[in-house]
Amino acid sequence: MSAVLGTAAVALGLAAAVLGMATLALGLRQRNPGMLRAGQRYVWLVLAGAVLATVAMQYALLSHDFSLEYVANNGSRSTPLLYTVTTMWSALEGSILLWALVLAGYIAVMARHFRSRATDPIVAWATIVALAVAVFFFGLMAGPANPFRLVAGAIPLDGPGPNPLLQNHPLVAFHPPMLYLGYVGFTIPFAFALAALITGRLGEGWLVETRRWTLFAWGFLTVGIVLGAWWSYEVLGWGGYWAWDPVENASFLPWLTATAYVHSVMVQERRAMLRVWNLSLLVATFSLTILGTFLTRSGVLDSVHAFTESPIGPAILAFFVLVVAVSLVLIGWRGDKLRSPGSIDAPVSREAAFLANNVAFAAFAFVVLLGTVFPLLAEAINGDQLSVGAPYFNRMTAPIGFTLLFLMAVAPALPWRKASTETLHHRLLWPAWAGTLTVVACVAWGLRGLGPLLAFGLAAFAGVAALRQLGLSVRAARRSGQPTWRALFGRSNGGMVVHLGVVLVAVGFAASSSYGHRAQFRLAPGESADLAGHSVTYLGTTVEERANKKTTSAQVRVNGGKVYEPALHQFPFGSQAIGSPSVRTGPLSDVYLTLIVPPDAGGVAVIGVNVQPLVAWLWTGGTVMGFGTFLAAWPGRPRRPSKSDSEPEVVTTPGDTPRPEPATVSS
Amino acid sequence: MTRRLTWGLLGLVLVVALGVGSRGESGPPTEDQRVRQITSVVRCPTCRGLSAGQSDAPSAESIRDEVRRRVQAGETDAQVKGYLVSRYGEDILLQPKTEGVGLVVWALPLIGATVAVGGLAVVLRRRRVRPGSKVSDADKALVEEALRS
Repeated sequence: MSAVLGTAAVALGLAAAVLGMATLALGLRQRNPGMLRAGQRYVWLVLAGAVLATVAMQYALLSHDFSLEYVANNGSRSTPLLYTVTTMWSALEGSILLWALVLAGYIAVMARHFRSRATDPIVAWATIVALAVAVFFFGLMAGPANPFRLVAGAIPLDGPGPNPLLQNHPLVAFHPPMLYLGYVGFTIPFAFALAALITGRLGEGWLVETRRWTLFAWGFLTVGIVLGAWWSYEVLGWGGYWAWDPVENASFLPWLTATAYVHSVMVQERRAMLRVWNLSLLVATFSLTILGTFLTRSGVLDSVHAFTESPIGPAILAFFVLVVAVSLVLIGWRGDKLRSPGSIDAPVSREAAFLANNVAFAAFAFVVLLGTVFPLLAEAINGDQLSVGAPYFNRMTAPIGFTLLFLMAVAPALPWRKASTETLHHRLLWPAWAGTLTVVACVAWGLRGLGPLLAFGLAAFAGVAALRQLGLSVRAARRSGQPTWRALFGRSNGGMVVHLGVVLVAVGFAASSSYGHRAQFRLAPGESADLAGHSVTYLGTTVEERANKKTTSAQVRVNGGKVYEPALHQFPFGSQAIGSPSVRTGPLSDVYLTLIVPPDAGGVAVIGVNVQPLVAWLWTGGTVMGFGTFLAAWPGRPRRPSKSDSEPEVVTTPGDTPRPEPATVSS
Repeated sequence: MTRRLTWGLLGLVLVVALGVGSRGESGPPTEDQRVRQITSVVRCPTCRGLSAGQSDAPSAESIRDEVRRRVQAGETDAQVKGYLVSRYGEDILLQPKTEGVGLVVWALPLIGATVAVGGLAVVLRRRRVRPGSKVSDADKALVEEALRS
């Protein structure tokens, strides 16, 4: 039943995407508006296909239909409801289905958003590109990654359930969908970029139109990455949250290029510069999401997440090559139209700072990409087995991180075109003193180490700079008689809130990775141990047998207060016991407990204790970043309330005069 | 003048604070510090991507014990790592050596950074004074009209 429905739904989605592309292409060729409108309608059929396929998959999972290979391999009767639902994205085929669903949703929202301009060639081309991406993902499901394949031979009575690590924490219901909303969201700006190249309308119009889409995708990706780090911290049990694992890097790479884009796009909007660069960043972001899928889903790199090896690898790699090749050819073809009329006037200006920011982000992405694929390249070239791990990434990216923090402090204070020393002195003095005094206070407090001290100082510098901008915005709002909360909305204000989130993340990262303590204690019931000013008392162990797992929990009292329960889970089909840590989270430090060895005959258990400062700042910072993105995507403070709403929106930053778009000039 | 003095003072305070803050403890590193240092750049053989110092896996623990034994026996860091490489292979080290193929992964970013910073400097220093961009007749007409009204 589900197999038939699912297969039909995938076929529907695939056919609708192909037909939609064909209709739009024909409509463009014949300049037939009716056909262009009809082509847009296929988008809803693609969405229907994706939704139906998802319903079929969920029905199969919930009804334990083990005639489906995917359910037989990843489902189980004893898995709790939540994890049965999330089983859909616990393995390769299902996650492609989730990807297709999110993509179909985005394309449908895009079609609806631009419905009044359905006959505009740029919208038609963008839809064609987006549908082409959909064809690829539906094609994967129709071919090498078919989620509705039937089992060969007898239908099993039960399955092993999802990977034990993926049924251990409710975050698994949020992290992958968030991440996919981010990844897939970049398809829309990418589609418009290609459409602009194809139609030759390479002005700033397409940028402005996709700005909010980019911001939303960026926000989802940011939150998805932070949730992933949090999941890793709460589930994997080694006490960290970021291991520079290829899967983490795969999500981080598009984030880096997208962050560069979110900044450099402002230079293009205001100064019409960096056109080729911005197109390249968008292409890079989109193709990196595909490359990331290749790296993580093909099993080509070893990592905790690469749970499968399949024939899907070559298909994704081919698509990646196609995306890059088509984009490069188009950029080359339109090269003459992409020459920018503007140029940089002074080395100390907002646009110069954005340029430096972009160089830093590009370098960051390059290092992460190189480190991630290098073991693969080295092995392919001369068979050397090499590892590139955290020590490499930390050492190579730390200077870039410091540069970015510094730019984050300075850039918002710089005016466009040219900054005078007077301005710099006036705007940067207090933030700079805040940074310096932070370093002095930290040293006085006994903190040591150049890296973390620099990070704290620069973070304070950047934080106070961002607060100063927000303060100015609040003052301006008050003066013009607007409510204070209005001063937080709009791109530049929301951007400053995002910066504050970054500051929190940077401080949390520097502190927790520099000043952590870890130890293992062999404790009999009633015994205590001390680590870094915290005491842990082992009380005893309880064992609970459930249908899907056997859980051994240790009761550990922290600092004489609340009792925490780190545990070991034994799943029926998993040979290795999976630990689940228990964390006492605090604003200043976390106490992270793991049960390493369950009690022996004498009742002595081995408890791992990991004390790290300011870990909670990471999650807080991630939340602030997500919130800031939301504020930034909100329409900015109206500068000229007398103007009517129907006019094209004019983008402004505080201290600048609005630059009307051509449409307003001619009116 | 006072402005320069202010920033000079700020720079001085910062440099002194960072100087004091980055000075490590004097004397040779303790046995614990050396074990931690070595195990932080050695991979845990059974887990992926984690260092032997971070992991609670039994294999990581046995590496920690082995490293401690060898440090106590007076071996240098290079000797300990050399032993681990001979035992587990080159990929036990979490960062490639700066020789052979491994050199590429260290050198490439440095070369890239030099080129990028150089390029940025060139772009920022090149203050072209461009002849005014071409103005079309239609644009001129628009301006005329705007001025007239």
